[in-house]
Amino acid sequence: MVLNRILETLQKGDVKQIADLIGQAFDAGMTPEEVLNQGLIAGMDVVGQKFQAGQIYIPHMLLAARAMHAALDILKPLLAGNGNARAGRVVLGTVRGDHHDIGKNLVSTMLEGKGFEVIDVGIDAEPEKFVAAVDETIQIVAMSALLSTTAPFMGETIEALERAGLRKNIKIMVGGGAVTREFADSIGADAYGADAATAALLAMELVASQKEAR
Amino acid sequence: MNGKQRILTALAVKQADRVPLYIHGINEAPIIGIGRHITDGLPGVKDFRKMTDSEKFKVLDTLFLIHETYGVDGFTAFEIGHEINLDDGHVQDEFGVTYALSDFGLPVAKGHPIKEPQDLTRYTPPVPDRGHLLLLDLARDRFKGEKALFWLMRGTFVRCWRLMGMENLMLKMFDDPQFVHQVARMTLDYNLAQLDLLVEAGLDVLVIEDDIADKNFPLIAPDQFLEFVNFYNRQIVEAAHKKGLKVVRHSDGNLWPLLDILLDSGYDGLNPLEPQAGMDMARVKAYCGDRICLLGNIDCIDLLPNGTCGQVDEAVRTAIQDGGKGGGLIICSSNSLHPGVNPENCIAMFEATRKYGLYDTP
Ligand code: B12
Repeated sequence: MVLNRILETLQKGDVKQIADLIGQAFDAGMTPEEVLNQGLIAGMDVVGQKFQAGQIYIPHMLLAARAMHAALDILKPLLAGNGNARAGRVVLGTVRGDHHDIGKNLVSTMLEGKGFEVIDVGIDAEPEKFVAAVDETIQIVAMSALLSTTAPFMGETIEALERAGLRKNIKIMVGGGAVTREFADSIGADAYGADAATAALLAMELVASQKEAR
Repeated sequence: MNGKQRILTALAVKQADRVPLYIHGINEAPIIGIGRHITDGLPGVKDFRKMTDSEKFKVLDTLFLIHETYGVDGFTAFEIGHEINLDDGHVQDEFGVTYALSDFGLPVAKGHPIKEPQDLTRYTPPVPDRGHLLLLDLARDRFKGEKALFWLMRGTFVRCWRLMGMENLMLKMFDDPQFVHQVARMTLDYNLAQLDLLVEAGLDVLVIEDDIADKNFPLIAPDQFLEFVNFYNRQIVEAAHKKGLKVVRHSDGNLWPLLDILLDSGYDGLNPLEPQAGMDMARVKAYCGDRICLLGNIDCIDLLPNGTCGQVDEAVRTAIQDGGKGGGLIICSSNSLHPGVNPENCIAMFEATRKYGLYDTP
């Protein structure tokens, strides 16, 4: 069936075919929400799991990301409510001094694949840059660090968010090669994820826990 | 045996008088930090490019002095003078790649001149410049055959991603493989031409530096590695062997999924054997230690930055115990001595190698 084919096409990254298939899904009477949840999100889950297991590599993730973005461009205007931010809004960046961005970009892809809107503050992002990107629509701040020398700036960013009075409204998620769970705990982060698929799952949990608390 | 003989013996997977010691790469901060233990008058830590000529001279001299004082058996040279300053924060290399300077490490490639096939048609590849081998000349004149001379040559993957952008390169492997091959071929031509200059300049060991893995997996699929990267790197290995050089393969990360391909490509040595990436010394030694020399393994991610000198001493002892048997081991950190390492721990690594590295007579 067409949703299965969307799922497969996503993994192959065929941008044109995915547009055709979404058209076919609509013709068959499916709603944009169904296409998104059972086609795209399900597809990106599979992609993320395969990556986690070492069955596919970064280039395949990029291919899937490209197809996903093409599909989202079609679906977004058709979705009810706030378009792509159904799951929540996340500020994501690599911290000050650190230029590694491949992991961060994969995390962004998997978050988008779960229906989050990602505000990417880029690499070498000063604490103030994270602070400036946070407003009342943001649920999560996610930080990446690959260097032992830059990981401490995660702690400084958390402090800057505190000083700006924003910390209590948001959850903090950290990851990247230089970060461990112990380190994440020591700087007062709410969650640590070892890979991009986990990052997306954690983000879902964090948003759920926030809703409960309110 | 002198340092050069020791290194060449180990690279032939034979036993020297003791386990040799090597520094793969080193940033300004550790040169200055280690240097303060053995000389005065060093400048404060800053990018080499931002130093005055006399500061540069002092730092280079200190780098040589570190090798002499601590009995480092090989010296690693790399290109200098190949960059032009664009502004305070950016430089451009001979390929037209632009880099952002960083206080936290080497400059990072940002501006990629060959993104699309049409960029390539307009592009004139650089010709290797003899003048850029200055550091090799200085080292040769200073060490006079006492130490093995290594050269860091960027391999096919790194050269291609700097030219094309990493993510773009990865996608082009699917979208336009021919284009990727053209760029790779161009970098090969450059590397082979530079190799000729290096041989004339008296090089002993070529290091093909081509990071291809992170701590879990290769950055690209093994079949992509074979087709787009190893096919070209292998030709550098063959050319270097024909000229009588030894060749070391450097890559970060977990190389197990690519190890058979690398072994099959004729390298004499493998570096840097990152413990956090599963490159366990005893395991690698058991798997291929009789076929390839192992260089590295002293953890620069956690141990050298945060450990104690005692822990470093113990790590060197263990690495020699696990990897030293029968020769074919060179002690070195699990990657470059980057700005985060503690200078005292580097010294502890040097000293421990002398302490534990002596082979009993065969
Ligand atoms: C590619 C690379 C580079 C490239 C980066 C290009 C780019 N556009 O990103 C370049 C060449 C620029 C580079 C430079 C340097 N690098 Co580097 N680099 C690497 C390398 C080989 C791979 C990193 C990578 O991209 N991995 C792939 C991605 C997918 O993995 P990842 O980032 O870990 O992300 C995954 C997870 O961690 C997680 N994740 C990531 N972020 C987040 C965020 C959240 C919130 C969550 C939940 C999860 C999560 O999900 C991702 C996907 O599953 C590693 C080697 C290694 N062993 O990892 C070294 C490595 C990271 N680099 C290192 C070093 C030292 C440097 C330099 C300082 C080198 C030097 N001497 O100058 C410079 C620093 C430059 C700077 N200022 O940033 C060290 C870091 C050691 C340390 N702990 O301090 C490493 C580990 C190499 C080593 N063994 O020494 N590097």
